[in-house]
Amino acid sequence: MAKKKVDDKSSQNDGNTKSDGDLSSNDEEPNFSDPEGFVDDITDEELLGDILKQKPKETDGVESVIVVDGVPQVGPNRLEKLKSVINKVFVKFGNIVNEYYPVTPEGTTKGYIFIEYSSPVHAAEAVKVTNNFKLDKQHTFQVNLFTDFAKYELIPIKWDPPEPQPYQGQADLHYYLLEPDAYDQFAVVTAQGQSVQIWQNTQPDPVVIEERNNWTQTYIKWSPLGTYLSTFHKLGIALWAGPNFSQYKRFAHVGVQFIDFSPCEKYLVTYSPQGDPHNPDMKRIIIWDIRTGLEKRSFNPEGPTAWPIFRWSHDDKYFARIGSNNDALQVYETPSFGLLDKKSIKINGIRDFNWSPTDNVVAYWVAEDKDVPASVTLLEFPNRNEIRKKNLFNVADCKIHWQKSGDYLCVKVDRYSKVRKEKNETKYSGVYCNFEVFHMKEKQIPVDSVECKEPIQAFAWEPVGSKFAMIHGESPNINVSFYEVRVGQAPILLKKFEKRACNHLFWSPGGQFIVLAGLGSNGGGSLEFVDTHEFLIMNSTDHYQMSDVEWDPTGRYVITGVSFWKTKVDTGYWIWSFQGKILKRVNLEKFAQILWRPRPPTLLSEEKQKEIKKNLKKYYPQFESKDRMRQSKASKELIEKRAALMEKFQSHREQRIKEWMENKARRLALRNNIDTDELDADTENVEEEVVEFFIKEEVTVLE
Amino acid sequence: MKPILLHGHERAITQIKYNREGDLLFSASKDNKPNVWYSLNGERLGTFNGHQGAVWCIDVDWTTTKFMSGAGDNTFKIWDCETGREIGNIQTASSVRTCLFSYSANMAVYTTDKAMKQPCEMFIIDTRTIDDSISVQDPIMRIPVKGPRVSAILWDNVEEMIITGHENGELTQWDLKTGKQLSSVKEHDNIINDMQWNKDGTMFITASKDHTAKLFDSESLMLLKTYKTERPVNSAAVSPIFEHVVLGGGQDAMDVTTTSTRIGKFDSRFLPYGI
Repeated sequence: MAKKKVDDKSSQNDGNTKSDGDLSSNDEEPNFSDPEGFVDDITDEELLGDILKQKPKETDGVESVIVVDGVPQVGPNRLEKLKSVINKVFVKFGNIVNEYYPVTPEGTTKGYIFIEYSSPVHAAEAVKVTNNFKLDKQHTFQVNLFTDFAKYELIPIKWDPPEPQPYQGQADLHYYLLEPDAYDQFAVVTAQGQSVQIWQNTQPDPVVIEERNNWTQTYIKWSPLGTYLSTFHKLGIALWAGPNFSQYKRFAHVGVQFIDFSPCEKYLVTYSPQGDPHNPDMKRIIIWDIRTGLEKRSFNPEGPTAWPIFRWSHDDKYFARIGSNNDALQVYETPSFGLLDKKSIKINGIRDFNWSPTDNVVAYWVAEDKDVPASVTLLEFPNRNEIRKKNLFNVADCKIHWQKSGDYLCVKVDRYSKVRKEKNETKYSGVYCNFEVFHMKEKQIPVDSVECKEPIQAFAWEPVGSKFAMIHGESPNINVSFYEVRVGQAPILLKKFEKRACNHLFWSPGGQFIVLAGLGSNGGGSLEFVDTHEFLIMNSTDHYQMSDVEWDPTGRYVITGVSFWKTKVDTGYWIWSFQGKILKRVNLEKFAQILWRPRPPTLLSEEKQKEIKKNLKKYYPQFESKDRMRQSKASKELIEKRAALMEKFQSHREQRIKEWMENKARRLALRNNIDTDELDADTENVEEEVVEFFIKEEVTVLE
Repeated sequence: MKPILLHGHERAITQIKYNREGDLLFSASKDNKPNVWYSLNGERLGTFNGHQGAVWCIDVDWTTTKFMSGAGDNTFKIWDCETGREIGNIQTASSVRTCLFSYSANMAVYTTDKAMKQPCEMFIIDTRTIDDSISVQDPIMRIPVKGPRVSAILWDNVEEMIITGHENGELTQWDLKTGKQLSSVKEHDNIINDMQWNKDGTMFITASKDHTAKLFDSESLMLLKTYKTERPVNSAAVSPIFEHVVLGGGQDAMDVTTTSTRIGKFDSRFLPYGI
């Protein structure tokens, strides 16, 4: 404050001296004074802008002042000592411009002091650090900004309730489901997120409905029900939704690389494997509430773990992970985000677990330990009842596969006949495979076993229905087998395709149809579209170097892609019908990722679905005529467009040919008046030449 | 139609050309010796011996009396077609990459590479009488080409302008009266491997490593049509009788060993051109 006054004064002085100068001018000197009516058009900013910047503001002083309470009360004799102690504490935060120790008439300090820093930033820092600072046993500092006193004094006594904010209706997040022809959407990413396109798979040709450059920095992910599109950025995740893909929420998490949605889209788990080097306090896993955008809980994972570390129950009620030493299953509940019953479940040697897709049941398996055999256990939540347990012997590894409708559980058990311990590694030999099928919907959950002596390449449940498929055998004798599980029966082999060139299985989301695919550089890109109703191979084809196969959520289309992430040539995606008929080939440079937008499960009751299936014949003609109309309209438009282009080109050609004809004389002049426009244009100059070639020699011996 | 295989070159072919009547086929390769063949049966008529380096470019005049070649041995040679005798030789500062006779064959043009600290240059020489003096004669015109080297060249049929295709995909039109650049367009993103006129010289087609071939108007350099493929295009031509273009190309020779024949796409394609 004092500083400001001095400044004010000096500026006034400046004005005075100037006028003094004017007064002292005598006649001999030229008159420097402004003529009458002169208006100074140079502003102060132009003249001394750099100095004006330093001009103190009234608030500077007040905001830089802090009030320290709880200072020891001392007499004048010890004031200097106190000052040095106080100085030591507060000088750390910045340059102290001014300090004031109020004293009583007797000269003892009053127990509170004022300190002024050169900048409000320093004052704020001092308050943050030294508030509640313990000087000694009797004295604890209460530090506040000077302005805070004014702020709290000014609180009105009468309280006005806050104005209710007008409700901002948000756009319909499910608009895409209202598309009358039930066209699905898919997203295409090219070259490290440089461009993201959202396509509508309309007939006969898909159309782009949204295209943005640099929408994501790495890849994209749809939420499981298709409501949100998530994009990855250095600083976190952004979710986009609604008709124009407007930004829905942002989740700041530096260096995020992996995300996982809870099945009902209530929560989002983000994982930043490296964390933030500038902010070591940031946890590497954060769980967010999607609708509020608030952080619910955060974790730091211990040791390397497979993503997703947390697995969600189907209704978002629980999420669980395996404890750090494989000795416990930690189940958390929502919305409290605390451990269920405040303790984890001790399971020594737990190796892997999975939630049922329809019930709150966890299947986990435990490796064998000395005399205790390995086992697979089904645990019900929240009551922690063990509803089924099966012991297994000679187990090397297990994989837990739930059928999508939760009716069956298949545990693929890799078993060995011999085991050797070499140093710290366990080596298994004579490995074969068992499939343990749990009938979840039957009493006491009976378990059936299928044995397979060959190595298993892939296994997949039919999403709807009771079949499963597996690829087994070693190259070149790769076989594909289909089994069916029936009530009260062991699984029966339905069909075995022998000598196939595939390594992945892709069931249609609606069941019945399956694509057998050879992915990657070893797979050769083979494709077989199979109807498992009668085991008919509908089409057998290939997409060379194919890296992805994606069914649309309704099971009507399949997209195969060659991603730039895997190979550099011939990247792009092809669209097929479910029968394996090629519909479109899109060759796209630096094509990276393609994803169909998921759909939530149907709202129709089972009876209604059955009824529709039964009356399908009735609907066929409607759709077919619609398709035909669209087709003919599109081809008509195309023909018209082409005709217009051709016409334009032809008129241009005619013009140019006319010019060419006009130049004929010049051409003739250049070539000695010989017309060379056509090979035989100049008949007089043609000279016939007979060239004889030696073609064949035949020697015939005459008797 | 049966293909005729021409066995005669020992290294990669760099350029082939028919004479005007189409009865003779000239070929150049990296093995230093251009060849000439009967196109009817593939019999070799003779070779042009004298180059010490890879022959990059050849051309034959409209009367099939003179033949010329430019090579990596920094020479540009003119030959008598009938005898195969070297009748003219010009020493250059760097490799000769392209060469062409004018419509009347009274002039010829050749371009040199931007290499060995030499800039890319275009030379226009008088070819009415050719003898030993040609090596010391000054060219009619010497045009320095700033920027990337010329990789393909065309000369119009009234001898007014030259169109050059460049290593970076640029096309430039030169006025021969002044030696100045008339206009320039950049429609390709990679080297232009070849350029060819249509029959009447009002349009030309370019073949580029950027996986496309493009049809241009010769006067305005206006892009008329783009033909997209998935592989580098090495050569392209416009049919003289039908509304077709043909493109030839495929994987780079150096990448061939890493690709299977099935996906190499070493094929020719016929495409309609108007639309």
